[in-house]
Amino acid sequence: MPCNGFTYAWGEAFKSLYRNRWMSIASVGVVVVTLLMLGTFMMVSLNLAHITATVKGQVEIVVYVDEKATPEQQKQLQTMLEARTDLAEIRFVSREEALERLQPELGDFLEGYDIEAENPLRDSYELRAIVPESVINIAKELEGYPAVGDVFYGQGVVEKLFNVTRGLQIVALSLMVLLSITAVFLIAHTIKLTVYIRSKEIMIMKYVGATNWFIRWPFILEGLTLGLLGAILPLFALYYIYGLAASWVTAQNIMFLSLLPVSVMMFELVKYLVPLGTGLGILGSSLSMGRFLKV
Amino acid sequence: MSNNVTYLLIMLSKLVGRPNAMIEVKELYHRYGKDSDFVLANLNFTIKRGEFVFIVGPSGAGKSTLLKLFIREIVPSQGSISILGQDLGTMPPKQIPYLRRSIGMVFQDFRLLEDRTAFDNIAFVLRVTGASAGEITRRTSHVLDLVGLAHKAYARVCDLSGGEQQRIGLARAIANRPALIIADEPTGNLDPDTSLEIMSLLRQINLRGTTIVVATHNREIVDRFQKRVIHLEDGRIASDEQKGVYARAL
Ligand SMILES: Nc1ncnc2c1ncn2[C@@H]1O[C@H](COP(=O)(O)OP(=O)(O)OP(=O)(O)O)[C@@H](O)[C@H]1O
Ligand SMILES: [Mg+2]
Repeated sequence: MPCNGFTYAWGEAFKSLYRNRWMSIASVGVVVVTLLMLGTFMMVSLNLAHITATVKGQVEIVVYVDEKATPEQQKQLQTMLEARTDLAEIRFVSREEALERLQPELGDFLEGYDIEAENPLRDSYELRAIVPESVINIAKELEGYPAVGDVFYGQGVVEKLFNVTRGLQIVALSLMVLLSITAVFLIAHTIKLTVYIRSKEIMIMKYVGATNWFIRWPFILEGLTLGLLGAILPLFALYYIYGLAASWVTAQNIMFLSLLPVSVMMFELVKYLVPLGTGLGILGSSLSMGRFLKV
Repeated sequence: MSNNVTYLLIMLSKLVGRPNAMIEVKELYHRYGKDSDFVLANLNFTIKRGEFVFIVGPSGAGKSTLLKLFIREIVPSQGSISILGQDLGTMPPKQIPYLRRSIGMVFQDFRLLEDRTAFDNIAFVLRVTGASAGEITRRTSHVLDLVGLAHKAYARVCDLSGGEQQRIGLARAIANRPALIIADEPTGNLDPDTSLEIMSLLRQINLRGTTIVVATHNREIVDRFQKRVIHLEDGRIASDEQKGVYARAL
């Protein structure tokens, strides 16, 4: 397409967008709503993945050494733990260290007690599994080891969290697919209406010898513009919403719960919504033109 | 001196080498659909460069079908049509736009963009061919002048009379300097005086060397113009006469 043809096609695209401005606004509106929902689901879904990953990373198995265990038995336990290949990290926490950790939280509460002498805590091993999902199985096996008093791994909570996040991710993903399909159809429909409105013009163009691409370009650019606008507008809205949500979550100060940073989230949203919006626009306009370009 | 002679010889050989036939129709048959009757049957004729030809005949005789075949809007069921030596049957689809740029079309219902100005309607077809902005302005003003509507250049088409609209249609048809103009009942929606004006414009365009083919029901004008008349009846050529008249001699 020569240079003046390029200007012509963009000029026609914008003229047509302006001439059918109410329909253009309506269809951008529909794309905006669709991509806004899509973006929201992406935000939720990406953060669920993020939180799950964080929680998974924080899930530990704590093995308390039995009070009655002999030093030999404890040594044996350590050897057995070290022999396992599914543990990423093994850390011995002596009862003294455990107490030290607690001290700041207890503060003056234990003033007067000689807790150093009567330390009620036990020696423990803090373990981290290589595959977080295997925590439950590992914990069950460890219960049978010698010198093991109790095994903790946040029973139930971990299992439930894994199930809930996986379920939510599946729902979010299906919704994203459905909404994308809806967006393609809506854009295709809008371009079809513009093509219909301009069908007389297209007919005349064909009679006077316009090539198919000459006729097609303005519509493709029109679809592209609709899709791009439909992607950029929700990005601003999502940026605002996400900022609010992130600061709210931070204010709640819930353990484990932190959202992805705004910059990371916006990068992800731009990476997906902009190509998706323009892609949907181009796909929509291509889908709606075939029939009208038969000679 | 000898250079000039060589030049003259080259120009002459080019003139001689140019196909003399504008349209060549051979054993042409057409039907819409495999099981329907032939709408055109066994047509054979040639229209030479620079001719002015009327196609007449009762409604349903196949006049519009024939004109649609000329611009390759439809493909003949059988037989061949050549325009300027190019066989339309074997023409690749990519070539069709370029064929149409050498043909100007005029329609009974004008087929103008009513919400745009006269100027825009003509500039529109020049833009399709990739003409520069300066060229577009020059050509558009020139053809508007030729049809006597220079003063209405910036009037919207819907504000113009039927006769004025058809003159815009004519101006649009000649904007690309086509070798051939095809008009399907160009005066079908116009009163007798306006019809005569439009046909006279076509005759003027013809005098400049453009070949003109007009399908019409306008008996008065056909009889008056004394041009070649091809009479179609039931898809066949009933008569084909130089200086013919509307009613077929029995
Ligand atoms: N697209 C089409 N599909 C099927 N049949 C058609 C089509 N176009 C025309 N015909 C038929 O072909 C025949 C010739 O039609 P055509 O339009 O060529 O006639 P015409 O001579 O132009 O008539 P008129 O003077 O009324 O314009 C008619 O019987 C018509 O019904
Ligand atoms: Mg007809």
